[in-house]
Amino acid sequence: MHFPFGKMVIIMEKKIVKNERTGEQYTYVKHPTGLDIFIWKMEDYSTTHALFGTKYGSINTKFKTKDEPDFITVPNGIAHYLEHKLFENEDCDVFSLYAKTGASANAYTSFDKTCYLFSCTDNVYDSLEILLSFVQNPYFTEETVRKEQGIIGQEIRMYDDNAGWRVFFNMLGGLYHNHPVKIDIAGTVESIAQINADLLYKCYYTFYNLNNMVLSIAGNVDEDKVLEICDKLLKNNSNPELETAFEDEPETVCKPEVVQKLEIAMPMFNIGFKAKPEKGIDAVRAEIETNFVLSLLADESSDFYKKLYDDGVINSSFSSEVFMGDGYFCSIFGGESRDPRLVRDKLIEEINRCKKEGLDEERFNIIKKSYYGALIRDLNDAEAIATVMINAGMEKLSAFDVIETVAAVTFEDVEKRLEKQFNTDNVTISIIEPIGGKEE
Amino acid sequence: MAVKYTREKLSDGIHYNSLINKRQKTNTLIIHLITELSPETASVNAIIPYVLSGSSESYPTLTALNKKLSSLYGAVIKGSVSKIGDSQTLSLMAGCINNRYTFDGEKITEEMTEMLAGCLVAPNTENGGFFEKDFLLKKQELLDDIDAEINEKRSYAFKRANLNIFKDEPAAISVKGDKSHAEKLTAKAAYEQYKKLLATAQIEVFFVGAEESESCKKIITDALASVDRNYAGDNTSAKSLLKSELCRVTESHDVAQSKMVMAFKTDYDNLVAMKLMNAVFGATPISKLFMNVREKLSLCYYCSSGYNDKKGVLYVDSGVEHTNTGKAEAEILNQLKAMCDGDFTDEEMENARKAIINSWKGVSDGARSIAEWYFNQCYSGTAYSPEEQIEKLMNTTREDIIEAARSLKLDTVYVLTGKDGAEA
Repeated sequence: MHFPFGKMVIIMEKKIVKNERTGEQYTYVKHPTGLDIFIWKMEDYSTTHALFGTKYGSINTKFKTKDEPDFITVPNGIAHYLEHKLFENEDCDVFSLYAKTGASANAYTSFDKTCYLFSCTDNVYDSLEILLSFVQNPYFTEETVRKEQGIIGQEIRMYDDNAGWRVFFNMLGGLYHNHPVKIDIAGTVESIAQINADLLYKCYYTFYNLNNMVLSIAGNVDEDKVLEICDKLLKNNSNPELETAFEDEPETVCKPEVVQKLEIAMPMFNIGFKAKPEKGIDAVRAEIETNFVLSLLADESSDFYKKLYDDGVINSSFSSEVFMGDGYFCSIFGGESRDPRLVRDKLIEEINRCKKEGLDEERFNIIKKSYYGALIRDLNDAEAIATVMINAGMEKLSAFDVIETVAAVTFEDVEKRLEKQFNTDNVTISIIEPIGGKEE
Repeated sequence: MAVKYTREKLSDGIHYNSLINKRQKTNTLIIHLITELSPETASVNAIIPYVLSGSSESYPTLTALNKKLSSLYGAVIKGSVSKIGDSQTLSLMAGCINNRYTFDGEKITEEMTEMLAGCLVAPNTENGGFFEKDFLLKKQELLDDIDAEINEKRSYAFKRANLNIFKDEPAAISVKGDKSHAEKLTAKAAYEQYKKLLATAQIEVFFVGAEESESCKKIITDALASVDRNYAGDNTSAKSLLKSELCRVTESHDVAQSKMVMAFKTDYDNLVAMKLMNAVFGATPISKLFMNVREKLSLCYYCSSGYNDKKGVLYVDSGVEHTNTGKAEAEILNQLKAMCDGDFTDEEMENARKAIINSWKGVSDGARSIAEWYFNQCYSGTAYSPEEQIEKLMNTTREDIIEAARSLKLDTVYVLTGKDGAEA
């Protein structure tokens, strides 16, 4: 890069983000390389947790950049494959580098992000240097890529026997016509067979661009030292103006029922209610309000739960969650039952009843306190804080948005959300039955 | 930053320990009842904390209790049982966010403490026993738990190995007891045992929070003062005796992979040196066992070591192909010999030291981890802070590690193998 005046002027945007309610604060920095940096100083704590991640997960298979005017589609499983390969340096694996600092290190790939992390109490700056260096320095050859194919293939096949995993992906396959969220994060044995070094490098340079990444650190760290290391190690690269896209996804479900047989004791089920996805802060609001709806409808203190539990239709494994991300949103109820279809029918009945008769306002107030308390508890923990910050950072939000949204939610918001997010026509049930028929 | 630790005697065998760390955003209270492990009482003791944490006189059902806890900003009350050396510990834990984070400044810590005290001293009873219906549910859960021990092969092998390692010692007894005793449990007998424990057990109360809470302390002190005490004395553990002959046991079971547990005994008393030796030898992913037995020779799917300081026993726990158990045993002994011969690099030693410091320094950050650290200290009759132990670790030398390694004598080799494992 050519600088006409002989030296580069580092322009750094820096602000302190404060939260009145909790008295907590963190520093946000937009680094000149394009990286978003979040630093939350936890005085008097010993542990530091750092995450360096890219907004690149298994669903990001279709994209374009300013150098490529047309969208291209790549095989499934590359994000996860890259995570495996980045853990190998040219001469050693990354764990042996961390051994010298005493940090414990790991990485994960989800549907919409890939994160590399460490946790330590000493030598935090040495560990940070390791983290920033290896993620920015990919090294693989056709040979090392081929070697990985067998290992990842085994990992994929291992999950074929896992009933909890299968019941979930079978449901996603029923809910979604086109969205890649329905494909296993690691891809398929067929899709990873198409992966080679060229494709990995192409995706690496597209998604591991600092403009598409976030660094999040919580712990007893010196902000200036962190930024000094960032200045030293972050590589300048031009913004590729990355755009991702998905095939059009109809509002209706693809299949209302998916059944598979495996070696288990009692039938397992996932019931998904498909809804329209939202973006940014609206997505946060949708997730939180839907969580309230789920608690009110069917948590352990609900009448619905108690009735089905006492009748032996569900057992204590019954639970619910919101599952959402870029281009997908659904509410899932899962567990074990001798009659999963009855659970679905009862749920639909309960949802329709609540739409007509309303939800329980007293329970709403209790759930709100409990939800809020859990978020406060997380503030004790460096790992939880760093995770909240990176999740917010990837969506260009503030780390306090979740806690503030929960504190502001009203009963009316939640009743409206029930109406909006639970269309009882857009339901898929996935069932895993024991081999040899139903257990009696 | 150090945590401020104080310990105060409330009455015979009852202590109130407080751990103050101004950054804590939650308040945690833990009440431990420590008693001897015996085959007759292990099961009944194991069920008591679960019964107590599910209801009380004031909140007679789980639903009522949970509803109240939810309204206290998602406070929790939990029961658990654990084993420490030759003793059994029954624990009740309660936690909530600090009052200052509530929407309207509600005094939720005090309310939660009242609830916990109620669970401990005023349980839900009927006809001179625990409330029958709830008790029977907990009993079924205990029986299911005992049955399920077989599902998790690694811990099952460990449990079976303990029977041989600690032959004729209390530490051999499973923390949940055995099925034959559990099946005979009644709500009435359990209630009698509960009353006896309240009177006789060593009781250690822990409070962890940002600042002292005199009101919580008073609630707990008053509740415990209402109990008629007949203290049985402090609990201790004896170092396990080395058997005159090596004990070899192989049991057959439907497993795809054999599980091998080797136990070495020692009367060496420098705990910190033994921890460092254990870290170099087998407790980390950069240790000798991991790098050699697992990675280099691929003899085991997992192979790691752990040290029980209360009993003076170092374990090596491994998962091995049936045909490789002999080879794996030889290689594990080989690696221990390397430790005894001082055949480890300074880098191995320093990396291990860093890994331990990393974990000890982090202890103060979590309410439960710091409470557990000091509970261990109380049991051993010491009060070392993590910082003090780190100081000792910094001064531990290569010679100390060698001395620690040389003190270890192989006592037991236990193998859980497949049905055809014996011939293989």
